[in-house]
Amino acid sequence: MKRGHGETWGPVPPQPSTGSGEGPSMADNKGKMADDSNMDELLAVLGYKVRSSEMAEVAQKLEQLEMVLSNDDVGGSTVLNDTVHYNPSDLSSWVESMLSELNNPASSDLDPTRICEDRSEYDDLRAIPGLSAFPKEEEEGVDEEACSKRIRLGSWSDSAGELTRPVVLVDSQETGVRLVHALVACAEAIQREDLNLADALVKRVGTLAASQAGAMGKVATYFAQGLARRIYRRAYTTETDISGVGPSFEEVLQMHFYESCPYLKFAHFTANQAILEAITTARRVHVIDLGLNQGMQWPALMQALAVRSGGPPSFRLTGIGPPQTENSDSLQQLGWKLAQFAQAIGVEFEFKGLAAESLSDLKPEMFETRPESETVVVNSVFELHRLLASPGSIDKLLATVKAVKPSIVTVVEQEANHNGIVFLDRFNEALHYYSSLFDSLEDSYSLPSQDRVMSEVYLGRQILNVVAAEGSDRVERHETLAQWRIRMGSAGFDPVSLGSSAFKQASMLLSLFAGGDGYRVEEKDGCLMLGWQTRPLITTSAWKLAGADESRRR
Amino acid sequence: MSEKRIGMVEKSNNKRQRVKLVHEFSINDHHDVLVEILRRLDGPSLCSAACVCRLWSAVARNDSIWEELCFRQVSPRPSLSLRSVVSALGGYRCLYFLCIRPVLARLPKILWSRDQLQLSLSLYCVHYYERLYVGAWLGDAPPSSLMFLRKPVNVV
Repeated sequence: MKRGHGETWGPVPPQPSTGSGEGPSMADNKGKMADDSNMDELLAVLGYKVRSSEMAEVAQKLEQLEMVLSNDDVGGSTVLNDTVHYNPSDLSSWVESMLSELNNPASSDLDPTRICEDRSEYDDLRAIPGLSAFPKEEEEGVDEEACSKRIRLGSWSDSAGELTRPVVLVDSQETGVRLVHALVACAEAIQREDLNLADALVKRVGTLAASQAGAMGKVATYFAQGLARRIYRRAYTTETDISGVGPSFEEVLQMHFYESCPYLKFAHFTANQAILEAITTARRVHVIDLGLNQGMQWPALMQALAVRSGGPPSFRLTGIGPPQTENSDSLQQLGWKLAQFAQAIGVEFEFKGLAAESLSDLKPEMFETRPESETVVVNSVFELHRLLASPGSIDKLLATVKAVKPSIVTVVEQEANHNGIVFLDRFNEALHYYSSLFDSLEDSYSLPSQDRVMSEVYLGRQILNVVAAEGSDRVERHETLAQWRIRMGSAGFDPVSLGSSAFKQASMLLSLFAGGDGYRVEEKDGCLMLGWQTRPLITTSAWKLAGADESRRR
Repeated sequence: MSEKRIGMVEKSNNKRQRVKLVHEFSINDHHDVLVEILRRLDGPSLCSAACVCRLWSAVARNDSIWEELCFRQVSPRPSLSLRSVVSALGGYRCLYFLCIRPVLARLPKILWSRDQLQLSLSLYCVHYYERLYVGAWLGDAPPSSLMFLRKPVNVV
């Protein structure tokens, strides 16, 4: 809401937190400053004194008052009955006093600077800038800046915030909207480094989220946790984070995520199809998996190779995993399981496990490729974005991949920009992205609950990382297809189109999932995107070395 | 002809047994013919047939019957090498119950071509792998990657 044009404000004495009758006194202060000669004539005839310059504001306030009164939940009428009004012909101040009574019967504080002084008053969303009732305007930003500066200077002066008070709509259906707005406001406060306000807001979010059932409440809880960590600047190290439990916990979570929703299955099946199409005539295949996890992708590929006409090629898998703890060699065990599977279906199989702390530590000679006799494939599912946390790592890895001379590189990544420089932009993007993701989980009501709960934990950890972590700790640096395209292009890779087989399989897979109407497969520039409703969530793409010709495919 | 038979039966009831002159054809003596007939049935009928008696139940476990059921609508027919793979993974009967039947229930008008078949086989592989190798690791939980196929779709 704009400030009244040309009006100046005198200092308003701090209001004590008592009952009704507060409103008018501040209104008195406000009104007397400017000249009185500017009254609207038509209303003056009716007995109301409204300045012409204020007409729009008064009209707006009357609208809000009407809305609030029509939602009778608050028992606003009783409050209004108790209010003492002075000078009702001054329509502007009268309406304001009504509104202030409805908003906060306890007191009438004016601007967010009061938060620091008395947090118990901070009971509603008034101080949130640019909220539902009003579009955010530049002046408000300036107001807030000025306000926060005033905190530091310790001075009071204006009631600058007076007219920025939006009305709280008491409609219970709006809780979700309020929740989102509270989250965004908190993030904005953090962006401005207004930590006191952010702290109060995050508590508010917690309360609202607890009362909100469904996906929105869960998402909001995770985001609130992330914001809280950020506010309190708790050291986000891997020790304090749950990942300190060990990489196996992450793998368990990912396994549940695999089972409960189609995203990982989509990723695996479409990548497999791309690989199959690239190695149609190969007699020996060497697949390098940059993130082996439980190896769920490879049985299906081996089966497809086993029934290939002309017999299966020999299949060699190099799986990369996190460093092993002393007593476990999970990579080798995984290799054994896959070997047994391969033997059952009659595919010649060879396995090698590489443990690496970071993918950029890998060197081409570690893979021991035999370029003359085998066709090399590199596969990465949700692994590349982690390397963006340390500068230069992604380039090292892509150079390594190039050196191995793969026939095809399949990449599956989240379709979102969570790597922006500005925290607020990242926050907003992440809020939309994970809201869609949680929504899609919610719809698949037929799942066993343990899977779904664990999937939510899995996604919740990603949220915490995006929101609370910084620097090299923040590994969930998702980027969009367009950004990856540029990266891969400059690293020397050309895109390969995924064929219609992959599309058909993906469509069939999604139609099998309950809530299948919400999932969408899209083909974009030869890449396949899986999304929920209108929002694309993950993308599968395939790449080959730039300038590689068909004859290289053996 | 039939009168003769009746006459002979009556006589055999009264007197000593006579050798029957008419060969009766019993399907239970000809398992291969039974298999050929069962191969032409659809899923529900086949399941009913398997409940007739112990013999029929045993015959109905013949995997070639289920193979026919799985691939009846698939064109082109998959190669023979698929047979060994599927048997290794648990056989066509399991494939039908785990993957094909839920898919048909969910998508009755589906056009079974190579891609759809490939997807079903992929899911079957995942299930097998999970059951044997991953289940114990997850704490004896039953494999649930195919759980999404078992529940009814919310038709709203």
